[in-house]
Amino acid sequence: MVKTDFGPPKYLDMMSDLCKRNYGKWKYHEVLDTGTLVHVAENGEKLYTVRSATPRLIHIDTLRVFCDLADKYCNGFFRFTSRHSIEFLLEDESNIEPLKADLHAMGYSPGGVGNTISNMLHTQGWIHCHTPAIDASGIVKAVMDEVFDYYTEAKLPARLRLSLACCLNMCGAVHCSDVAIVGIHRVPPKVLDEKVAKMCEIPNVVAACPTRAIRPEPAKKSVVINDEKCMYCGNCYTMCPAIPIFDPKNDGAAIFVGGKVSDARHPAMFSKLAVPYIPNEPPKWPTVVKTVRMLIDVYAKDAKQGERYGEWINRIGWERFFKVTGLPFTDKHIDDYIFSVPTFRSTATFKW
Amino acid sequence: MPFIDVNGEQLEVDEDGFLQDPEKWNEDVAKYLAKTEQVEELTEEHWKMVNYLHDYFKKYQIAPMVRKLCKDNGMDLKKVYELFPTGPAKGACKIAGLPKPTGCV
Amino acid sequence: MPELRKTPMLDQLLDGPFPSFVKEIKKGAEKNEACNDLLGQLELSYEEKITHWKHGGIVGVTGYGGGVIGRYSDVPEQFPGLTEFHTMRVNQPAGWFYKTDRLRKLLDIWEKRGSGLTNFHGATGDIILLGTHTDELQNVADDLAHEGWDLGGSGSDLRTPSACVGPGRCEWACIDTLDIVDTLTRRYQNELHRPMWPYKFKIKISGCANDGVAAKARADCSIIGTWKDNIQVNRTEVVNYVNGGFDIIGQVVDKCPTKCISYNPVTKSLSIDDNNCVRCHNCINKMPKALRQGKINGATILIGGHAPILQSAFMSWVVVPFMEMKPPYTEISDLLEKIWEWWDENGKMRERTGELIYRLGMRSFLKATGLPAVPQMVLHPRTNPFFFWDKEEVNQ
Ligand code: HEM
Ligand code: HEM
Ligand code: HEM
Ligand code: HEM
Ligand code: SF4
Ligand code: SF4
Ligand code: SF4
Ligand code: SF4
Repeated sequence: MVKTDFGPPKYLDMMSDLCKRNYGKWKYHEVLDTGTLVHVAENGEKLYTVRSATPRLIHIDTLRVFCDLADKYCNGFFRFTSRHSIEFLLEDESNIEPLKADLHAMGYSPGGVGNTISNMLHTQGWIHCHTPAIDASGIVKAVMDEVFDYYTEAKLPARLRLSLACCLNMCGAVHCSDVAIVGIHRVPPKVLDEKVAKMCEIPNVVAACPTRAIRPEPAKKSVVINDEKCMYCGNCYTMCPAIPIFDPKNDGAAIFVGGKVSDARHPAMFSKLAVPYIPNEPPKWPTVVKTVRMLIDVYAKDAKQGERYGEWINRIGWERFFKVTGLPFTDKHIDDYIFSVPTFRSTATFKW
Repeated sequence: MPFIDVNGEQLEVDEDGFLQDPEKWNEDVAKYLAKTEQVEELTEEHWKMVNYLHDYFKKYQIAPMVRKLCKDNGMDLKKVYELFPTGPAKGACKIAGLPKPTGCV
Repeated sequence: MPELRKTPMLDQLLDGPFPSFVKEIKKGAEKNEACNDLLGQLELSYEEKITHWKHGGIVGVTGYGGGVIGRYSDVPEQFPGLTEFHTMRVNQPAGWFYKTDRLRKLLDIWEKRGSGLTNFHGATGDIILLGTHTDELQNVADDLAHEGWDLGGSGSDLRTPSACVGPGRCEWACIDTLDIVDTLTRRYQNELHRPMWPYKFKIKISGCANDGVAAKARADCSIIGTWKDNIQVNRTEVVNYVNGGFDIIGQVVDKCPTKCISYNPVTKSLSIDDNNCVRCHNCINKMPKALRQGKINGATILIGGHAPILQSAFMSWVVVPFMEMKPPYTEISDLLEKIWEWWDENGKMRERTGELIYRLGMRSFLKATGLPAVPQMVLHPRTNPFFFWDKEEVNQ
């Protein structure tokens, strides 16, 4: 019998002596530059962190180079962040610059610390998933190339979190990001009756539809979809491969803004719709890229120091947001899903 | 799509080896599929589960949830994995001729 | 080895300052057919604006019901290397700490038995090994087990729990996030490896209100460190910040959500009305040397976060405002087990815990878990008079 249920490697086995010695005894930290942090322990010992974004999709040869660098500069220890950045953990300050030089040489740039854009959370897209409405890695690459100055230079009023989910399942935490890109479909799925009859659990398919757009069609041992009620979530396709929802002519990206997860100052907020639809434009998605750049530039210029994206919008108001960004406000921006009424304004107090 | 050969009859299966047409299922098919899921011999306990799954699906057109499956057969999950080492969804459901379970991975 | 795939569209993503994923795949393409074909298939997706992956398969390893995601190309004739291209989820060490010798072993296994492509990490926190054949799955799992790496969760099970770096390298961890995640992961191996519930269940742990792993937004159970007593003020350091030109009024006093900080510019002293502090952490973030959290530490437990499909997405909401988090973490385990039992008994297929609470009401959830109702659970009490009474509560 094979060995099972023994769990992950013990984290203490993966930690340097310095980290173990000062476990839970850190006193404060400082941001040295946009790629470097120092953490100071109560006993005065210092741990330097050099952070660099990765594309998340990494070949083992690159990971081996990371290992080489960690052996060379960090006694063999490094870690990753929850946003797919790598962090080298150095004890010797004089190793920082040589490490950075080596990273640059392999095409990786330190950054993402402090009031910057840190690495962009994203999902699988066309690389490895069956439900995406957009690609993930390609858009991330194009967007990050464009806003790279905000990654290496601390010129934003506060930190800014970008993320992307390639369909509404949203495997990455985009709904609470400052700027989020989400893949959406715009036409109802097609029902392939013969295949449905063979491969799908019909009661589950019917139950999967949030808007009750699906009803059984016993004669064909299949289902029918009421197109009027469908909002293209693709949940039925998740339950049944015989109800494909793709449409290259209509799939594309929506952009949401103003979310955050930390409770500092204002409690965590969901991201809200800014742009309902931009078509897929591989390989470099110029419209998405241009829109994200604009959204960030406007915020960088207008927000007060310390204000996150959503806090800025809360202060200036959504009507001002649409004015300063020049984005059109449409019927799509007004919620008509389950919990919509509390989002309607019931005062006569607005800005113009 | 691949096919399996059970007593000279060609049966279509999907890439994971799930039977495409539930109507074609019978005891011999179950025995054949059992071998592909590390069940060398279907004992009485195996048959209890397999028949239960098959009947449940016939009645409701869905596979039971795992808790229900354990409860209705008086087995805990550990026992289910002892009988079907590849688990209730991949192992037991396949042997019972159910379509491939779907959902979030 | 067939010749390298031509990818004129993808090649446009090779340059630019941000590290290129295309370059990463190309590193593999020279020595691995699957990587080469992945380039080809991705190029095709770019041309046609559509995915070429088939709906997920059911594959696995002996003894486990999860940890592997089946994946097949829908154009295998064109890209034979992708006929089977399954993903394996490997349980990461808590806090994503790595020692190179241990990690190299994993990389060697993946070189030998898979595509060589990975994700560091997937959105739930696992190491993702991207792409191998069905008949290699068991071998990968066995080899990994030999080197001390176990698989993570997938399907309707406990998903691999994850936690922020916490005490490993952060002065703001009010709780030992790494020990908690490690303990819970080990305690619930059966729940992690053998799907048994109506749907998935995620646990994420952040050491403070900054919520570094976005626990509130994406975990069914979010554990977030906090404190109960007063913020510790180091007066000398406050003076140092001010003398250094720090905008204490603009960044700290004015930004305090409850306006409970006052600052005297004459004495350069700062005082906090701790009774009104909601522990949002902003002032500490801004003046880490001068302000520290209190000493009575614990965690807030929130329940119900999940993504938007079906009901709409929810952020987790408070069910225990303050729980001491001391090893062996019995209190949180008791709570989790009660929640799972109630959810498993009452939940419908593919109903997340939060949706079930929403359907049956907090009332029924509190009764099942034995938790008391407290004002910290709500922003404000209800505004409608439509509440339920149990039989026992009214006069018969
Ligand atoms: C209705 C809900 C969901 C469905 C149907 C779904 C489906 C999928 C599918 C099919 C994949 C496979 C991608 C591949 O082939 O590698 C995947 C990957 C993944 N999903 Fe989901 N997903 C859902 C929600 C979520 C949510 C809410 C999360 C996290 C909170 C999540 C986390 C992940 C992770 C970590 C992966 C691994 C790959 C990655 O990191 O991109 N999923 N999901
Ligand atoms: C419309 C824009 C939204 C996008 C693009 C979005 C995207 C996402 C993504 C990508 C995740 C996966 C998180 C992970 O990596 O674990 C997620 C999870 C989640 N989202 Fe959203 N979301 C949106 C709206 C909302 C809304 C309106 C809510 C709540 C009202 C919400 C609540 C949640 C929650 C609670 C999770 C937890 C995920 C889980 O574990 O299932 N989201 N969302
Ligand atoms: C939280 C819930 C509610 C509160 C606090 C509330 C409060 C009030 C108050 C104070 C008035 C009196 C206004 C006045 O006479 O000056 C009023 C009027 C009214 N409310 Fe509500 N109400 C609520 C919900 C509803 C709902 C759910 C409905 C209907 C579905 C409703 C329908 C009406 C109508 C028709 C009037 C009479 C308006 C008029 O003719 O002057 N209310 N409500
Ligand atoms: C089922 C729920 C409710 C019913 C049936 C109801 C019924 C009424 C009725 C019949 C009146 C008119 C009394 C009159 O003749 O002056 C009234 C007035 C009022 N109701 Fe309600 N009400 C309900 C809920 C509420 C709620 C939830 C609120 C506030 C939170 C509310 C606030 C008021 C107020 C402020 C007035 C006074 C309006 C005035 O001064 O003219 N009501 N309600
Ligand atoms: S977000 Fe959707 S398309 Fe993207 S990986 Fe997750 S399930 Fe697949
Ligand atoms: S796509 Fe969503 S809304 Fe449309 S039929 Fe399918 S489940 Fe229902
Ligand atoms: S969530 Fe808090 S404790 Fe955890 S790493 Fe972030 S700041 Fe530190
Ligand atoms: S933690 Fe937040 S609420 Fe408390 S004093 Fe600081 S800024 Fe104010």
